[in-house]
Amino acid sequence: EMEDAEFEDILDDWFIESLKTYKDLHVYQLEHPTQVLEWTSGNSVCVAGYSQSKNEILELRLPLKLLADENKSLCAERDFKVSHGGFTDGPVRCLTHIPGTRCAVTNDGLSSDLQVWDLGGEESDVIRRTGSIKGKRSASERGSRIAARPSSAPQVLHGAQISDVQLTELASGETLYKLETDSADPLSSLQFVSDTVFLAGCCNGSVYVADTRTSAPPQLSHSPSSAESVIWWTDAAAGPHPSSRRVIRVSSSGQAVVSDLRNLGGAGCQAQLDVQTPGRCSQVKVSWAPTLDDCISVSGFSGVVQIYNTRLWGAEPQEARPLFEHRGHAVSSQQTDDSVPTFVTSHIWHPERPRTLLSAASDGSVHVWDWVDPNRQGGSPTP
Amino acid sequence: MPEIKVTPLGAGQDVGRSCILVSIGGKNIMLDCGMHMGYNDDRRFPDFSYITQNGRLTDFLDCLIISHFHLDHCGALPYMSEMVGYDGPIYMTHPTKAICPILLEDFRKITVDKKGETNFFTSQMIKDCMKKVIPLNLHQTVQVDDELEIKAYYAGHVLGAAMVHIKVGSESVVYTGDYNMTPDRHLGAAWIDKCRPDILISESTYATTIRDSKRCRERDFLKKVHESIERGGKVLIPVFALGRAQELCILLETFWERMNLKAPIYFSTGLTEKANHYYKLFITWTNQKIRKTFVQRNMFEFKHIKAFDRSYADNPGPMVIMPGYCVQGTIGHKILNGQRKLEMEGRATLDVKLQVEYMSFSAHADAKGIMQLIRMAEPRNMLLVHGEAVKMEFLKGKIEQEFSIDCYMPANGETTTVTTNPSVPVDISLNLLKREMALGGPLPDPKKPRTMHGTLIMKENSLKLVSSEQALKELGLNEHQLRFTCHVQLQDPHSDADTLHRIYTHLKSVLKGYTIQHLPDGTVIVESIVIKVSSSAEDSNTKVLLLSWSYQDEDLGSFLSSLLKKGLPSGIC
Repeated sequence: EMEDAEFEDILDDWFIESLKTYKDLHVYQLEHPTQVLEWTSGNSVCVAGYSQSKNEILELRLPLKLLADENKSLCAERDFKVSHGGFTDGPVRCLTHIPGTRCAVTNDGLSSDLQVWDLGGEESDVIRRTGSIKGKRSASERGSRIAARPSSAPQVLHGAQISDVQLTELASGETLYKLETDSADPLSSLQFVSDTVFLAGCCNGSVYVADTRTSAPPQLSHSPSSAESVIWWTDAAAGPHPSSRRVIRVSSSGQAVVSDLRNLGGAGCQAQLDVQTPGRCSQVKVSWAPTLDDCISVSGFSGVVQIYNTRLWGAEPQEARPLFEHRGHAVSSQQTDDSVPTFVTSHIWHPERPRTLLSAASDGSVHVWDWVDPNRQGGSPTP
Repeated sequence: MPEIKVTPLGAGQDVGRSCILVSIGGKNIMLDCGMHMGYNDDRRFPDFSYITQNGRLTDFLDCLIISHFHLDHCGALPYMSEMVGYDGPIYMTHPTKAICPILLEDFRKITVDKKGETNFFTSQMIKDCMKKVIPLNLHQTVQVDDELEIKAYYAGHVLGAAMVHIKVGSESVVYTGDYNMTPDRHLGAAWIDKCRPDILISESTYATTIRDSKRCRERDFLKKVHESIERGGKVLIPVFALGRAQELCILLETFWERMNLKAPIYFSTGLTEKANHYYKLFITWTNQKIRKTFVQRNMFEFKHIKAFDRSYADNPGPMVIMPGYCVQGTIGHKILNGQRKLEMEGRATLDVKLQVEYMSFSAHADAKGIMQLIRMAEPRNMLLVHGEAVKMEFLKGKIEQEFSIDCYMPANGETTTVTTNPSVPVDISLNLLKREMALGGPLPDPKKPRTMHGTLIMKENSLKLVSSEQALKELGLNEHQLRFTCHVQLQDPHSDADTLHRIYTHLKSVLKGYTIQHLPDGTVIVESIVIKVSSSAEDSNTKVLLLSWSYQDEDLGSFLSSLLKKGLPSGIC
């Protein structure tokens, strides 16, 4: 156990170092930790608690100072504004915002049922439950993954395992599409790669690609590894050009595999990530950077968020060094219980600002950070 | 029903000033008397017409309490005291009393001398008003009068800031002023005991925010300073000496060597000597670390920080950092609002060529802080002022859910009435207490009240409960006894003695738990009720029962007479 003074010293060192390594840095402490970080607009995110019983869903508006471009120096506001808040009856393991609406859909990780919420508008700051969507399973170990259809009428794709995946229309509750497959593999990710085509990543590493317009069987790409106890997480890049769409799969042992969406089984590139505690992780998040080509971010193995440049990866798996590491959560968390060290529960990239991310950890901390690319350091920062 | 009334003075949604009226137990208290810095006319003062349409406020207020020296909490004090008129007691902590007049005078100078306003308070008014001030120490109960008492608690925020506990009888209110729940480099965090006030009044300006950490604000400050130095520039910090200045100096001093910087830092202030004196005086108001480090030294003796000399003004490339609030009307305020051209008195316009950074270090409680304070004080009701009700529904729900207390959010000018449930303390005489204890049975339990007999005597201001005998003795009265008798006729062929015995058996089976005795002198006694049997003169089968009971056993006596009127059950022997 660290002495208070020693802890303060290490923290101070990291902050001094951060003067050079970050352009902007904001550190917040929520009352309760969140496992979800979801954009509800260009400048607001949703977070929610995951304790056994009652929890809060909060919509937070990013600090004005971070977003200000002109007159940034004259803006002193550094705080999150809790613009809306509500209460849930159970944990929130997955939260998805329906684009173009003030609606969000959640899953509690205990069954595959979904809860539907109204995030509130100008007249009230209360987030209210407006309904629910029945899933296939009343009891589920991991709960459902949710993906919102990018455009057109509010519809959600959801399911706890690959054979359960269905597309539900929110207003009517009608099932518009069902994925036809017999496999019962549990899902670790679900996302749309176009308005109708989606990718479902299973925990065993296999990936399915299907189109909600057809009932044709999905394309299946098998897991990169046949190791039994290894869990995989997936993310697909939403590039503007179809040819730039790539998929990355990361395993609990730190293996990372990148492939082309149209040729998932083909040769891509791989790496062995430099993760501290491979194997000991449950909430790994891997994400393509929205505007930085070839960059991916990984969290969940420890209290660190890592950013890698996949362009440096080759066909054979080699040890990769991260381009940047955000160690803020690990450094600033004073652990009283050493058996459960702080780990990052989730992170997201800002959709437009190239190097801005938000990350949340198991100790309730939420950081907003704009990192400096170490390869571009040296020039004086633009005022 | 007893009630406490709270009214934040002011109109509309403005949050620029604090002035709250509380009516409790027949007393009227004003909490803070702030100036609204956004207005240039009478709207900057609180609207005292709510209290009285014209005339002085002395008769309407029992006291005025000022929480800290920020102008939005004390700026209207000389106006209220000397121009509207108030001669009653004004309470504030020692540091507040010392520092308030400095800020008020500063503000007056700018408003009157520089901006040329009239109808503003004068220097003499400030002095006269401060003469009415009674200083408070932390955690010390002060009797304002026979019934009203107040106590100050540490609030953090700025030097001398206090939260105040106000008590009349068994009703109480706590007002927080501005406070923070996390310590900073020179002040501690707010603290209060589990005083369980009827109402906890808190500002809610930051209630719906989640504050960025102190370290990040400091990091930003250090970053800008560092960048400026690296470019070869100098750093100038004009800041009120008794506010955030201390914090920043400590911060720079702590990190200067760590950041490997050697350039000098200049500290501009006209108050260094006075400030030193005040800090030494109020050292107990700073936090532990400060006290340990600065016991011997001057508060402004730093390795790397020096006083500014006007001759440095022409050096190129400086950066100005202004933490916190610049009073309206000053050049600083204009620059912070982005003005790049300044019209100087008698001179041509000046171009602002410096790089300007506005940073806020003020320590306020956010949503989490408010919840922490509620947990500490355990109020019966919560009241939030200076927030927009529509934007705080969630917080209200959160407070109501977590603590099961009501949360009120009055708009400015609106009165909230909270019904209280005050307890009335009564002394009990030792004899009575001993007698109750001697009765045995389970120990007193607040959930299971037990009836006891006594007499409540209200004499002067005290209430006491004594035994009836003692009361009669004290009052010099004779005790009278009241006994009821009634006759009940029964048809029974047995002898008088047998009938009596049958009655005894019957009662024993019906009145379980009561003391029933069959005495050899021919009576049956139930508690204190006496039953005798005699035969009617005309018919020996008609028995006449004589029942006699005292007033205290009225209920049982009535019950017995009804019971016996029904006759005896045949199976009894």
